[in-house]
Formats: sequence, structure tokens, C-alpha cells
Amino acid sequence: MKKISLSIFIFYIFFFLLSFKAIASNCEFQMADMNWPSATLMANVDKFILEEGYDCKIELVPGATTATFITMNEKGKPHVAPELWTNAIAGLLHKALEEGRLFSAIKGPITELGEGWWITPHTLKNYPEFKTVLDILERPDLFPAKEDKSKGAFIGCPAGWGCQLANQSLFIAFEMEKKGWVLVDPGSQAGLDGSMSKAAERGDNWFGYYWSPTSLIGKYNMKLMDFGVPFAGSKNWDDCIAKGPEGCIEPKPSAWTESIVQTVVTSEIKEMTEVMNYFGKRIFPGSIMNSMLVYMEENQSQGADGAIEFLEKYPEIWINWITLEAAKKIKKAL
Amino acid sequence: MLEFFEEFPEMSRGDLRDFKKVIDSAFRSFSRTYGESIENFFDPVLWFLIWFEKLLLNTPWPIIILVVAGLCYLGARSWKLSIGSLLTFALIGYLGMWEDTMSTMALISVATILCIAIGIPLGVWMARSDRVQALVMPILDVMQTIPIFVYLLPVLMLLGIGKVPGLIAVCVYAMPPIVRLTNLGIRLVDKGVLEAADAFGADKKQKLLGVQIPLALPNIFAGINQTIMMALAMVVIASMIGVRGLGIPVLQAIQNQYLALGLMNGLAIVALAIIFDRVLQGYGKRLQKDREVKKNG
Repeated sequence: MKKISLSIFIFYIFFFLLSFKAIASNCEFQMADMNWPSATLMANVDKFILEEGYDCKIELVPGATTATFITMNEKGKPHVAPELWTNAIAGLLHKALEEGRLFSAIKGPITELGEGWWITPHTLKNYPEFKTVLDILERPDLFPAKEDKSKGAFIGCPAGWGCQLANQSLFIAFEMEKKGWVLVDPGSQAGLDGSMSKAAERGDNWFGYYWSPTSLIGKYNMKLMDFGVPFAGSKNWDDCIAKGPEGCIEPKPSAWTESIVQTVVTSEIKEMTEVMNYFGKRIFPGSIMNSMLVYMEENQSQGADGAIEFLEKYPEIWINWITLEAAKKIKKAL
Repeated sequence: MLEFFEEFPEMSRGDLRDFKKVIDSAFRSFSRTYGESIENFFDPVLWFLIWFEKLLLNTPWPIIILVVAGLCYLGARSWKLSIGSLLTFALIGYLGMWEDTMSTMALISVATILCIAIGIPLGVWMARSDRVQALVMPILDVMQTIPIFVYLLPVLMLLGIGKVPGLIAVCVYAMPPIVRLTNLGIRLVDKGVLEAADAFGADKKQKLLGVQIPLALPNIFAGINQTIMMALAMVVIASMIGVRGLGIPVLQAIQNQYLALGLMNGLAIVALAIIFDRVLQGYGKRLQKDREVKKNG
């Protein structure tokens, strides 16, 4: 019995010391380190800048979109999700923002991001008349399908992914079958990646679905094509295109829906003006993010190494995010 | 000195990275130089696969069902099995899985035939030479245990997505049992029987075809059974690299937790496996029975 009370006593002391420490630094919080490369790079850049430039203390905790959002919303921890793709959790996030539990520190921390239809860069060079997706659709002969050379192959989204349904709908909406195309299901991300890198390495033409920021897009300098038609409204997208051919009979041609990415913070962080100012200015240009992802893949490096490489290589970008005083401290730390 | 024992003396991080890079870039340049010719080499296989799939898909369904039932009867001489397969295929069609099932059947038939055509001769060769056995055994172990995407990624870079990489994936995984069991079956044939064959003046070929293979039949057919089962188990993996068929809806079901869709397509794969296997096993049993009748008579 005595032993137990002693250990409880020690526990209390620890707890006391711990809480004391938390008070000592008024900028101490947790950030989600999401399980894909661009987000982990961003989290590590934030950690370095905030720790070295603003004397914060930051703990990175592993995360994934839905799980992180739920714990942030319910438990207030982790305090920051640097790169949250909010399309999938739009309804829930809207509610949390309205209730004032979460706040958006910046919309679009990376430019030029999103999903869409891409082609290989040499194809665009050889056929400069390709201005939009509509121009490509007239030339299925340039993208012969493996199993039926008379048809053009459009590489869609792997079976079971949300984007598979949207691609199927757009395939119908643009009347691609009539124009001589087949929709190829790559089956998995490995299949999709393999088909794209094979074409890019070999100099073949490739036309298909992908998204950015990703190392493959950066590595092969893939070109995102304009759809040549405007976004035909969220009603058409959400109630029809996104439901696939079985849920939607007459899809209208449309550009891909905008992917919304935000840095989301809890109310605790909102009080920290300096930190919020930093997040509000922190925008990665898409091309630089892609080239960083290529660097990380080629060197098989982790987020922390990537962050230092970024800070060393692109000071002209992050210098605009922070105060002069912080910039001096960070340059010293590098 | 103590440090040497505490920390494994590993390669430095930079060297390790360069080592990996060299392998990757070597493969890349190989794929750039020879990729197209390797692809062309496999083209006949691809054409045959496409032709066979189209044949199955374009033939009216009643004919396919009747042909399958007929093959069941020819193979196994069992009315029960014929009627069972007839009902199974009717149900598969009724539940809307006909086209996927035909695609899968095309791939699996070709894969099984290919595995048997390569596997049995290889097994025989292994049984005759200890050196070949020592060489092939580790390769079979690798084929059965190496994680599939480890070799599929290079195959994808070389051949792209589609039927041929799918066929390769299925065969790499499904071939080892038939090779192993053919080898084992022939090695287990009683020495006394072989001596008797020698005494009758049988040459090597007569011994193989007349004595060893017939006596090894139970083992060989156990191998064929395993090969078929493993080939069908690989249908889903093949779909992960763009092969149409029953695997695609299974993948869809797994991603989205559609229990019914997954179960239906999964069971269709099982049904195909059972029909394929029973027909070949029935055929195998008849072969052995014929032999026994001859022996007794």
C-alpha cells in the first residue's frame, strides 16, 4: 500500500514539473506528421522554422486525414494539421469551423495542387497543338492501347478509389468511347505509377489520371491538361460525376473539382499571433514542392532531412514567410 | 573495441544510398534499352490471351455453359459434376459476373496450361539430376516466398500494366508446386520396379513414360491441384496490375467494404477453382484406374 502511494506521489511531482514546463514556454504544441511525403516535409519545415525562429517547442505525431481530423476536433490534439485535404471531410470540417473548435490558418498552403488528367511532357512538345483535354481526345491514335491498338488508352484511377467513379463519369461525359478511347483500370497505385513511369522513361505517349504534389509528377515533369470546359457546378460534380455511371445517367462534361487543402489549427493555436501570421504566409509554390519530393525520393530521405535541404536551397521563398528577427535566427541555426 | 560489438559495423548511409541508386539506375537504363524488344518477345502470348478472351466473351453463353459441362463429363465422367458446373455458371451469369468470369477463365486456363507445360518437364529433369535439383530448389523457394510486388515493379517498368505481367505474376507463384511434386513423385518410385524395368531391357524413354510417370501420377496430380488453387488465388493480385476479371470487383469491395460484392466475386473465383480442379483430378483418377485395370487384366 505504501509503495503505491509513494509512486502516486512521484507521479504527481512529475506531473507538476511537466505542467510547469508547459507554462514556461508559451509556444508548445503538437503537429500532425501525415503519412504522405509532401505533408511530412511541410510539418518538418514548420517545426524547424517555429523552433529555431520563434522559440516554440513542437512535437510531431503521426497522422492520417480522417484520424487526425477526428482527434483534433474531439480532443484538441494534435494542435495543427499542416496539409489537410478537406474534400473527403468537407461536411464535418464545416461544422467544426462553425462551432469555433477548429480554424483554417491558410487555404492552399501549396499552389498548383490537385487532381486531373496529365500527359507526358515530350508529347506536349511534339504536339504543341494540344491546348486542352478536348484536343487530345481527337487523337486516340497517339496513345494506342496495349490490347487493342486501334483504340486510345486513357489510364483511369485504380479500382475502388473514389476517383475511379469520377473518371468513369467523365469518360462518359466527354463521349470518349465514341471518340475511340478505352478506359484502362490500372488496378492499384503501383499499377498506375508503373504505367506512367514506363511511358515517361521510354518516351511513349501517356494520358491519364494523377495528382500533385507527388514525386512522380515532379520527376517526369508531367503536364496537367486544362479540361477545355469550365467546372460545371458542384451539383453536377457531387450528385452525378462523383457517384459514377451507376448513380448518374447523364453527367455533364466538367473540369475536375477543386481540391481544397488547408492548414487547420485548434483554438489554442489561434491565440498565438506570431504562429498564425507565419502559417498565413506559408505557401509552397507547387513546382518547388514537386522538386523537393523528387529530391527526397532520390535520396530516400526522411522529412527532417528534406526540410533542411529546402531551407538551405530556397531561402528566397521562406524568407517572405517570417519576421526579420526570426530569419536571422534560422540562418544561424542552419 | 567494445563499440564494434555493440553497433553492427554497417555500411555508411551515403554508400548504401549510392549502392541503391546504382541498382535503380542500372535497371532503368536496361529497361530503356531492351524494354521494347522484351515487350515484343511477349507479344505472341498477349495476342493469344486476347484472342482466347475474345473467343470466350463473344461465344453465346449457352454454348459456353454446355461446353464446360461437356468438358466436365469428358474429364471426370461424372454427371453430378457436369450438372453442378452447369448450375454454377448459370448462377454466375445470373448474378452479373459473366464477363469478369470469362476474362478470369481465359487468364487462368492459359496460366495453368503454361505452368503444367513448363513445370512437369522441369520436375522430370530435376528428378533425374541431383545437380539440377540443387540448382532449381532455391529458385522455387524464392518464387514462392518473395513478396509479389518486389518483382512486379520491375516487370511493370519493362512491360507496362496488362495481361502479360499478370500472367507472369500468376505463373511465378503457381508453378512451384507442380515442379516440386513431379520431382518428388518420380524420386519416390520404388527402386525395385525400376530394376525390373531394366531387366526387361527398357530404355530411358520407356522407363520414364511407361514406369516412372505413371507411378508418380498421384503426386503429379496433387501438384496440378495446388497449381490451380494458387493460380486462382492470384487473380486479385493480377488485377492490381490492370488485368480485367473477377479481381477488379474484389479490389473495389475491399477498398469500400462492400461485403456482398466481395463475397460474390470471391465465391465465383472459388467455384472456378473447384470446377477446374475436379475435372483434372477426375481425369487423373481415370488415368490411374486404366493403368490398374491393365495391370490386373
